[in-house]
Amino acid sequence: MSDAATLAIVASRQPPARWLATLTAAAVLVFLLAPFAALVFATDWHDFQFAPGDLGAIRVSLFYSGLALMLVVLAGTPLAWWLAHCHYRGKWLVDALLLLPLLTPPLAMGILLSSFYGPYAPVGGLFRQAGLYLTNTAPAFVLAQIYGAMPYYVLAARAAFEGVSEELEQISRTLGRNRWQTFWLVTLPLARLGLTAGVALAWVRAMGEFGIVLIVAYFPQGIPVKLWVNLQDIGLSAVYPLLWVFFLVAVPLPLWLGLRSRRQGMF
Amino acid sequence: MDIRYQLEKPVVLDVQMQVRDFTVLLGLSGEGKTLLLKAIAGLIPARGHPFAGLAAERRPIGYLPQGYALFPHLRAWENVAFPLPRGAGRRAQAMNLLTRVGLADLAERYPAALSGGQRQRVALARALARRPELLLLDEPTSALDMATRDEILDELIREVHDFGVPVLAVSHDPHLAMLADHMAVLLDGRVVQEGPPRAVFARPATMRAARLLGFRNFLTGRVAEIERSGMVVAGADWRLRADLQHGMRPGMAVTVAIRSEDLVPGEALGGAAPNVLKLQVAALREEGVALRVRMGGTVCLDMLLPRMQCAGRSLVLGAELWVQVAPEHVHVMAE
Repeated sequence: MSDAATLAIVASRQPPARWLATLTAAAVLVFLLAPFAALVFATDWHDFQFAPGDLGAIRVSLFYSGLALMLVVLAGTPLAWWLAHCHYRGKWLVDALLLLPLLTPPLAMGILLSSFYGPYAPVGGLFRQAGLYLTNTAPAFVLAQIYGAMPYYVLAARAAFEGVSEELEQISRTLGRNRWQTFWLVTLPLARLGLTAGVALAWVRAMGEFGIVLIVAYFPQGIPVKLWVNLQDIGLSAVYPLLWVFFLVAVPLPLWLGLRSRRQGMF
Repeated sequence: MDIRYQLEKPVVLDVQMQVRDFTVLLGLSGEGKTLLLKAIAGLIPARGHPFAGLAAERRPIGYLPQGYALFPHLRAWENVAFPLPRGAGRRAQAMNLLTRVGLADLAERYPAALSGGQRQRVALARALARRPELLLLDEPTSALDMATRDEILDELIREVHDFGVPVLAVSHDPHLAMLADHMAVLLDGRVVQEGPPRAVFARPATMRAARLLGFRNFLTGRVAEIERSGMVVAGADWRLRADLQHGMRPGMAVTVAIRSEDLVPGEALGGAAPNVLKLQVAALREEGVALRVRMGGTVCLDMLLPRMQCAGRSLVLGAELWVQVAPEHVHVMAE
């Protein structure tokens, strides 16, 4: 092999130049964000008006997503704490089972909920006898959002709790604080960034839940289902105003929390 | 204060000892020293007294783990105030404690902005805020650098004396044990010896305890003679005079332990002086400003020569060397 050829091979093994990496990163970023830019141009700003029922869908989404989020946090936080702190044989099975609702496609999850909570299903029948209908009602809507959001919240919260040093919790006990006080004074503050990330994630999942809601609670219509209805009944141009509202209410919280957690060094 | 704690898992421990002022429990790594402190603090299930049956938060103890475990989300004064009940005087009490450990100026700092020694003092103030009956320290020297260790240890010991709380510190560091008011040696999950450091370091109970306490030279032999003023122990090619020790009888199999720093060159004394051995230099190694001399011949011994004794002496491998040890530094243990 000639010296020139050897040199060429050596040169080709050199790491890519910095500008090449920057260019690739920029290209991927543009690829990811281009559809969002398109929304700006596609929106008819001179005739920006909501379709009939859009404001009602916004109210439904905001109110019931808030309610679902509250229930997700109330029920999911103890579960996440338990998963992070309790060690026992066969825990891997519980971990795997927890991933099941996360890995199930939303549409399939909706069908499962229908089969379980539907008016003619055994459990749904019991609720119906108690006067609680879990299809196409507000409780069904919240239930669908909970199933869509809770697995994400529990995973994030569990990771946040696991990140808190057990030694600090033990020290708190030796300083006269019981388990409950320790949770409020030590665990919760130290896990707060991870927990808020979980809350943000759950908020986006609840707001944007479409697949499960479509099957279980077509009514009352929230933003995602109303977007679908507008698209079907009126056309693409009718979805943009509602889409803008969706971005404005759903995205800022997680975006802000994400940036904050990246920028903020812990204490 | 008498302490007795028993543990079955993850290691078997049965520790019975006294805690007086600043007490150090010396033991090898992995002996279960941290587990013992956690058991006393009520953080792991164990049988024992005092404080048996009390939940961790109800035990009147202060616990400083390795690294001190300050709450990173709280300022120094908030850490100290953590165990104090909510009320108007809470901050003032915390500041008073910080002042007593000399850190009032750093009250507003987070732990990340404090040095190792400062963190230790904040943790001490926090532990003392509960007015504990017993203070537990886990390896208090482990997070300190060598440059400031002695100074910080002196301050720590002075401060705990000032507060008047008995302290149990566990450590694998014999240097810390030397500074204690009382010490105990933990081996195989049991306390094999306790007493004032001066006595324990001079007269370890077993060969393993002697190793832990820094002895490097061990010779096996028998008690040759018992006299009124002392005794003679002898091996195949050596004889050494030692102070009379209780329970020794002629013919008894014994182990002789000698500290490296208690051996001194003795060529000027000749063969007539007591406990003089003629050996050959087998290995030399500089240890800072001292010189470690490994010697062979009739017995193998290790000697640490301070630099004052190295001056004017040309030590080379293979050279003959007279070494001497005072009878009071020959420690004899029954086998």
